[in-house]
Amino acid sequence: MYGTQSKRDLTLEMQSQIPILRPSIHSRRANITVKFQDLYGFTVEGNVDDANIINEVREKVREQGRVWWSLEASKGANWYLQTDVSSALKASLKFSVLVNAITLKKLIRKGIPPVLRPKVWFSLSGAAKKKSTVPDSYYNDLIIAVEGKVTPATKQIDHDLPRTFPGHPWLDTPEGHASLRRVLVGYSFRDSDVGYCQGLNYVAALLLLVMKTEEDAFWMLAVLLENVLVNDCYSSNLSGCHVEQRVFKDLLKKKCPSINAHLESLEFDVSLVATEWFLCLFSKSLPSETTLRVWDVLFYEGAKVLFNVALAIFKMKEEELLMAHHVGDVINVIQNTTHHLFDPDDLLTVAFDKFDKLGFMTSTNISKERKKQEPAVMAELDQRLRRLNSSNLEVDS
Amino acid sequence: MGCSSSLPDRSPGRVGGLNPDNGGDSDAKNLRVKLVLLGDSGVGKSCIVLRFVRGQFDPTSKVTVGASFLSQTIALQDSTTVKFEIWDTAGQERYAALAPLYYRGAAVGVIVYDITNPDSFHKAQYWVKELQKHGSPDIVLALVGNKADLQEKREVSVQAGIEYAEKNGMFFIETSAKTADNINQLFEEIAKRLPRPSPS
Repeated sequence: MYGTQSKRDLTLEMQSQIPILRPSIHSRRANITVKFQDLYGFTVEGNVDDANIINEVREKVREQGRVWWSLEASKGANWYLQTDVSSALKASLKFSVLVNAITLKKLIRKGIPPVLRPKVWFSLSGAAKKKSTVPDSYYNDLIIAVEGKVTPATKQIDHDLPRTFPGHPWLDTPEGHASLRRVLVGYSFRDSDVGYCQGLNYVAALLLLVMKTEEDAFWMLAVLLENVLVNDCYSSNLSGCHVEQRVFKDLLKKKCPSINAHLESLEFDVSLVATEWFLCLFSKSLPSETTLRVWDVLFYEGAKVLFNVALAIFKMKEEELLMAHHVGDVINVIQNTTHHLFDPDDLLTVAFDKFDKLGFMTSTNISKERKKQEPAVMAELDQRLRRLNSSNLEVDS
Repeated sequence: MGCSSSLPDRSPGRVGGLNPDNGGDSDAKNLRVKLVLLGDSGVGKSCIVLRFVRGQFDPTSKVTVGASFLSQTIALQDSTTVKFEIWDTAGQERYAALAPLYYRGAAVGVIVYDITNPDSFHKAQYWVKELQKHGSPDIVLALVGNKADLQEKREVSVQAGIEYAEKNGMFFIETSAKTADNINQLFEEIAKRLPRPSPS
């Protein structure tokens, strides 16, 4: 399946070497901008090649669906819901359980078919377990209890609803707004330390589109913030997010030393682009199916996946980045790349094959790195707070 | 990959966005300027940028997370050009600790408030203080009262804006991203106030 990709690259390369007097059919076609809807109803603007890639991806998704059905036929219905890797390893149960766990990891990295996503995510992320610890009526009770309450969080949410994926055929309707509002407001009361953080609007919106029911989207949001991601990613000082940024910078230095050195020489801080990636979990930058493929792996393997993907985006464009002369050029390279990553495999192959084989990127190692960075982040935030308080006094006086 | 050695000569160590001797980046005729927009959530920072860069007004522009980047070049009457590299930052309070990332090395700080919202005017004053203390020493600061089309809902007087800006040596203007009123003027006035690299 990568044959088509490399062929396309080759054509482009040859075109740039041969002086063209008249635009070829290829380049003329490539310049036509077409608008179309992707699998999840988002409007995509791209050229004809992009449209073709989206069609190829649709076909690959169908193919992947067939792989899942045939495994279900041989391994039994819902086999994938009974494979908890960690417990299987700990108990070193039956050999078949281990085999299933390994199969599943590979399978998930190749993508969960959209129809199975709600079920597989809900179970493998731990959302089902979380939900099972509270009474069935929890979500409905919560929604009723918070109705009509006004807090800084609800005000910000109301302000952001129409500004979350504007133009989407469902999200940007009164019904879509109401649904997203209930999920976000409900969560803001569940965890008042987080309340509402800009970025969560995009995450929750996409969860709603995938999970179909509001309640399941709510539990996915809960498990994401409480179990999958690092603590305090979204809480009032974003300290978790600051930690992740430092860990990411360290990883980039180790894994992509030449890119890192070049960006440093341009005074380009990778957090300029990566902050949004980590807070929106790529939903604001990558095409929808590509984002959801990242999330497939995120919910199964954990938050370290975000580093794999972020590193891959830089790695994929190494040559172009090394040619960039200005901060603006770097941003343009990165944004062009992320916006046109319509084939998830292009990204995930680099993210997992390349960086996994080099080792180091295990969850345990990443946790150690986080621990190392925490004190510095806390000191920095503390210093800022004190500084702000002092200028606060000056404004008031 | 060793490509960096073949790049044109540049000075990576520059501090301000406008350094007279930064060799090839900006010259006397063509300036390249880093500009940062700061201000409370929903005052219209992204709308101002989109109006300036794309000439459009989109009442439902997307929520900014972290910051977004856009650039726009304008030509001045003295036949110089200024390329603005604009960092449009997220307004929610908890993002404030990220602001230094975006204003570091900025030659221009544009601080925006909403004339219908006194809290946002108060917030603007924090940002002014922060940039005066921690921004580049020669930073050009502009105070912008946006949503000037909503006269009937005005809660911050023009006078309050003018007085505060004067006291702090800032340029002041009221704009409407919706009607495009004063948007180009804002950036042109900033361009005029930029310190020029001395021709060598």
